[in-house]
Amino acid sequence: MKTSGMRFAAVLWLCAAGFAGTSARAQEQKFPVETKTLKNGMKVLVQSDHSIPNVALYIFYRVGSRNERPGTTGLSHFFEHMMFNGAKKYGPGDLDKVMEAHGGSNNAYTSRDVTVYQDWFPRSTMPLIFDIEGDRIENLSFDPAKIKSEREVVASERRLSVDNENGGVLDEQLWATAFIAHTYQWPVVGWMSDIEHWTMDDLKRHFAMGYSPSNATMVVVGDVSADEVFQLCEKYIEPIPSHAPPPPVTTVEPEQLGERRLVVHKEAQLPLLMIGYHVPQTKNDDFYALNILRTVLFDGESSRMYQRLVDKDQIALEVASEIQPAFDPTLAIVFAQPKQGVDPQKCEKAIYEELERAKATVITDQELEKAKNIRLMEFYQQMRTINGRANTMGTYEVFFGDYGKLFEAAKNYAAVSKEDVQRVAKAYFGANNRTVATLLPENDGQAKQ
Amino acid sequence: MRTARNCAHIFVAVFALLIAAMNVCAQAIKMPPHEKIVLKNGLTVLLMEKHGVPIVSFAALVKSGATADPVGQEGLASETAQLLRKGTQKRSAQQFAADLDFIGGSFEAGAGADFTTLSAEFLTKDLAKGLDLFADALLRPTFPQEEVDKSLAQNLDAVRGSKDEARQVLRLYYYGYLYDGRGYGRPEEGDELSLTKMNRASIVKFYEANYAPENTILAVAGEFNAGELRNKLEETLGTWPAKSVTPVAIPAIGAAKGKRLLLVDKPDATQTYFAIGNVETSAGDPDRVAIRVVNTIFGGRFTSMLNEALRVESGLTYGANASFDPRKEPGPFGIYTFTKNDTTVEAMDMALEVLRKLHKDGITAEQLASAKSYIKGQFPPSIETSKDLAQRIAGDEFYGLDDSEVNQLEARIDAVTLDMARQVIQKHFPEENLVFVVIGKAAAIAPALKKYADKQNAREIADPGFWMAEQSKK
Repeated sequence: MKTSGMRFAAVLWLCAAGFAGTSARAQEQKFPVETKTLKNGMKVLVQSDHSIPNVALYIFYRVGSRNERPGTTGLSHFFEHMMFNGAKKYGPGDLDKVMEAHGGSNNAYTSRDVTVYQDWFPRSTMPLIFDIEGDRIENLSFDPAKIKSEREVVASERRLSVDNENGGVLDEQLWATAFIAHTYQWPVVGWMSDIEHWTMDDLKRHFAMGYSPSNATMVVVGDVSADEVFQLCEKYIEPIPSHAPPPPVTTVEPEQLGERRLVVHKEAQLPLLMIGYHVPQTKNDDFYALNILRTVLFDGESSRMYQRLVDKDQIALEVASEIQPAFDPTLAIVFAQPKQGVDPQKCEKAIYEELERAKATVITDQELEKAKNIRLMEFYQQMRTINGRANTMGTYEVFFGDYGKLFEAAKNYAAVSKEDVQRVAKAYFGANNRTVATLLPENDGQAKQ
Repeated sequence: MRTARNCAHIFVAVFALLIAAMNVCAQAIKMPPHEKIVLKNGLTVLLMEKHGVPIVSFAALVKSGATADPVGQEGLASETAQLLRKGTQKRSAQQFAADLDFIGGSFEAGAGADFTTLSAEFLTKDLAKGLDLFADALLRPTFPQEEVDKSLAQNLDAVRGSKDEARQVLRLYYYGYLYDGRGYGRPEEGDELSLTKMNRASIVKFYEANYAPENTILAVAGEFNAGELRNKLEETLGTWPAKSVTPVAIPAIGAAKGKRLLLVDKPDATQTYFAIGNVETSAGDPDRVAIRVVNTIFGGRFTSMLNEALRVESGLTYGANASFDPRKEPGPFGIYTFTKNDTTVEAMDMALEVLRKLHKDGITAEQLASAKSYIKGQFPPSIETSKDLAQRIAGDEFYGLDDSEVNQLEARIDAVTLDMARQVIQKHFPEENLVFVVIGKAAAIAPALKKYADKQNAREIADPGFWMAEQSKK
């Protein structure tokens, strides 16, 4: 559907797993999960579900662009691509060919915090999948020809998702401005000049740094038994030696002392507005209250921001918010798509007024209950597929340190009060804590330097 | 920001429903039982109980889509659908939103080429409230003037905004040019011109002419008791007055002859996006399973011939694919990809070379076996949720397909031979007659594109519309 706009819808979908929420009913949905920590330190979660003869297997590595350094930004993501380009047993191109010939498919994603590998396959293919995964975790090869062509693929991906997408450009500039010390400041895909200059040694160092089995969690959901998964782990994964995890990211972003603003001038039909507020890491207790606040403000056509900007003032096509799962203090991003010819500052003003209202007066009982119902529906929608469950369980295990938090989410949301919501609005949504990024169409009379 | 390894979904997701109709089942996957009833007013109802998750999914198809739009008012069906929730006899737009959100429900409506879809989901505990909302929007919309004005203004801007991203609009230009602005070549959600030519009266007229029980299929799947729900549906949707509807006449437009190319200038583009193909197959095509198998090999998965050549082996692009978009009448086939400005010709030549190779060398027994496994292995998750199932059974009903699409597909796919594949390649994959659409920086790429087609057209991305029938006469 056009009205909701595709650009941000996709972003929201990507991060949805990070804030699965629920109220009382969800506690009944607790399903049995079997876990085992292998001798090399990798933790394995298994959830059996025989409703379809398929399996979703996720491996979460706790390494992402936050573990990078200037000069090699984007390396985690590039490395993710290289994980498909050949190991000892399955050479360049073999992994995809063999997997698809046996009915499987795969993908992977990289964020600032994690690199995640995904396999989807019929149950009969599981031993093969473990053979492939074990091979590339232990014996990845670095073929110079593949590095060359994959570098071009990643450059094309950057052109697709950043350079030729206005939202991508603005998002990149926003993070680079909101963070001055912490490694969240650069884009996951990397700066183009870094993409052009990575070396094979950089890749090898990254592998040695981030890919110890002890730095990973495996989640298997579907038509399997825990016993068969653990047996395959013993055979293919457990013998892989462990080593030191990535060095801790010790840099703490200093408190922001005043509003920061940036403007991007670009050929465009419509302006864009993004505002980033520093908020705590996922594991922080305010996670739940922040999500309730964002739901009241942004979710659905009855939300305060939609009612104000889209419906009443008619200055925006769309308004949304996002907080990605994060190990370190991160950003809550507010996004607005102003209508053509509307000064983004008009949207800004309306957004600030609604934020001030949430600080001045507590939300209503009705809004609180609505937010909890919306979170409950989201919970079921995420958990109703083997794929959604694997991703959500893994996200909780990695970002909360315990998949079991998934089942406590009900209790934790139920405990959020109207006053909590007001408190987090006051704590995080102040002028000094925000970075405002605006994209102005060049043909809009704004001069280009 | 998250960055994924491949983007096949970008081009595929839009027509997931239709493509699902061509998928193949794996062992043990059967369509769950469901019943079909026709209410006294002519409404077709499909009910499928599926227990385990406390959600009920609704999918209603009104058998009039974008092809029912009057010429010059493209986007009318879509506009009408979007406005269903924006004011009813019982609720204002704001009240509808408040009631829907309070129960955590979802409601979306939009028009595709062949039909309009209303889809909604509610928690089982809120089914009565959800059904009331659904029926309210379907049966009793009032199209308040204020909401019509808001919606038209927003959609006009949404069309403009979509042109900021070439990948969002490549198909619109391609379909427009492919069908020369007729039939499936008219933009389903309208354009900068057509959206200014409709008003409340035309929207009400469209609703009155097309929304009727006999012109609607309703599928409901999920956790409910079918007997109870059937009674509730009779009390609510059963009261919808019967009336006759003139079926939509969709022009059957055949494949384009010869070669032609449209270049859409986007001066700030650092990457060229292109589509190459022709008009091909319809949803009920008897060759649909074999087409699916061959296209999996050619352009339908990561290791497809196209993606291997353009991404894996050469690094020219982040992704290349080919897809069929089967519809009631012959729908588009296209090769879709993108590459940086200075490799535009290299990538287009390579895409054409892969197509030639398909015709010249055909496929191997190994490729055939691999594609069969792949399709069967990937099929079950496509009918995993009640939402998937509701949309699927409604779509199959519309296209006159039955449960054998799922239950017999493994057998049908196993029956595809190399010989059948050869025939399918000759019959359904264009070779000499090709339509090209290229979006990119004309100053950098235009001269090199001359070699692809004798007939060439050009326009600016900021020009209103995508491709209209009159343009070809100029």
